[in-house]
Amino acid sequence: MIELIRDSIKYRELIWALALKELKIRYKRSVLGFLWALLNPLLLMLVLTAVFSNLMGANIPHYAIFLLSVLLPWTFFAQSLAYAAESIVGNADLIKKVRVAKSVFPMAAVVSNMINLFLSLIPLVLIVLMLQHFLYATWLFLPIPLLALTLFTVGATFFFATLNVFYRDVAHILQIVLQVWFYVTPVLYSIDAFPAKYRWLFKLNPLIFVLNGFRLSVYYGMLPSVQSVVASFACGLVALFVGLAIFKRFQDRFVFYV
Amino acid sequence: MSSPVIRVQNVTQRFRLIQERPDSIRELFARAFRHNSQYHDFDAIQNVSFDVHEGEMVGIVGRNGSGKSTLLKVVAGVYTPTFGSVEVRGTLAPLIELGAGFHGELTGRENVLMNGLLMGFSKREMQTREASILEFAEIGDFIDAPVKQYSSGMYMRLAFAVATEVNPDILVVDEILAVGDEPFQRKCFERIERFRRTGKTILFVTHSMEQVVEHCDRAIYLDSGKMVADGRPEKIVDLYFAANAIEHSPLEHVSHT
Repeated sequence: MIELIRDSIKYRELIWALALKELKIRYKRSVLGFLWALLNPLLLMLVLTAVFSNLMGANIPHYAIFLLSVLLPWTFFAQSLAYAAESIVGNADLIKKVRVAKSVFPMAAVVSNMINLFLSLIPLVLIVLMLQHFLYATWLFLPIPLLALTLFTVGATFFFATLNVFYRDVAHILQIVLQVWFYVTPVLYSIDAFPAKYRWLFKLNPLIFVLNGFRLSVYYGMLPSVQSVVASFACGLVALFVGLAIFKRFQDRFVFYV
Repeated sequence: MSSPVIRVQNVTQRFRLIQERPDSIRELFARAFRHNSQYHDFDAIQNVSFDVHEGEMVGIVGRNGSGKSTLLKVVAGVYTPTFGSVEVRGTLAPLIELGAGFHGELTGRENVLMNGLLMGFSKREMQTREASILEFAEIGDFIDAPVKQYSSGMYMRLAFAVATEVNPDILVVDEILAVGDEPFQRKCFERIERFRRTGKTILFVTHSMEQVVEHCDRAIYLDSGKMVADGRPEKIVDLYFAANAIEHSPLEHVSHT
């Protein structure tokens, strides 16, 4: 844990440069360049909103904001994971030739998707203003769920990045896991649509508390309960410790398997 | 004598041969059910120990597959040795391969920064050295073009310039001087000589006995992962030639003078 923080500080410029490289390469040679980072969520929002406002939106006013308040942090999580799973294997060239803290690669994947998340807040704010939804003061609370989500995401990325070094099937399995995870998470719908006796099932999802924090702050203008914040940090820290422990245990062997 | 800047003690580097490893979960299951977990261990270097002192230039020689590059990677910290220990004092620039870490889509300038950061230098340190890196590499306006558009010569010059201009205490070089044209090689050696004069330590792998005799203070001879000899370059070169039955070497006059 301390080692991760120390390495992240020591290599902060490298992590930043790798994250920017990721984005630069993603948008290089496209006419619109970085604008895609804004356009992508905007277009996705339009499509999802168009489809689901009609399906679900009958009793959810300003469905777009309801949806995006959770969809954007979810995308940050899912994309970080998808990138990070490949981050060690994808940087095999570097790992085999340069001595560098291996944690920088999954970290860079998280950072680059964090940048994307921040960029996509711009279209979100635009939509909020456009629909004349309130820009609640509870937005100021967002750094708290964001921190909890980041802890969870970093933990999960370390876990999957390690696994994928030894079994390349993991990246593919992860895609399926993320798909299923997306639909069992109340992103498109509200948990209230389910009978009360089944709602406890959703609480098994470690992301439920933190994502709920996003929705409450952005869409409802409310703050999550203290228990829910504590639970979100508990999930985040458990994920972080497990992910880190596994990464640390195996990182010296990565070089032989990439 | 001063305390060593590189201390390699009883290092063994073991590889589990890759064909024997389950590459997918399907194979893993197949193997679990068959109960045969056979694999083949291979020691690329076995029980190697040596010290390198400040300001020394040490050449590592040996046939292909004798473990030279593995040894360099252990010293550079790319591999964690299976047994034994490696201690390094001071900053180390690994030139295991020129341009490792260059990304084709990034410009020369961006790659210079990235390469420096990978070696553990700060952005500020790299920016102060940028001018001299560009000067040495002689690539002019191409510095702002993506490196995939570079000729191989430009690519190597830039990579060599970055690795040496960061001014590390220890330079670890793998055979790279075998590439590039004559003027470029000469330029590289001039720079390496300049390095030596400033008291830097260099550990390098080569197949050129000429280079060993001409530049090194000491040489280490590896064969099948074992250290056969460690001593004066002339002695090592003789041993090497004797062992490999190279009778009429054009270098003989060099090694006997």
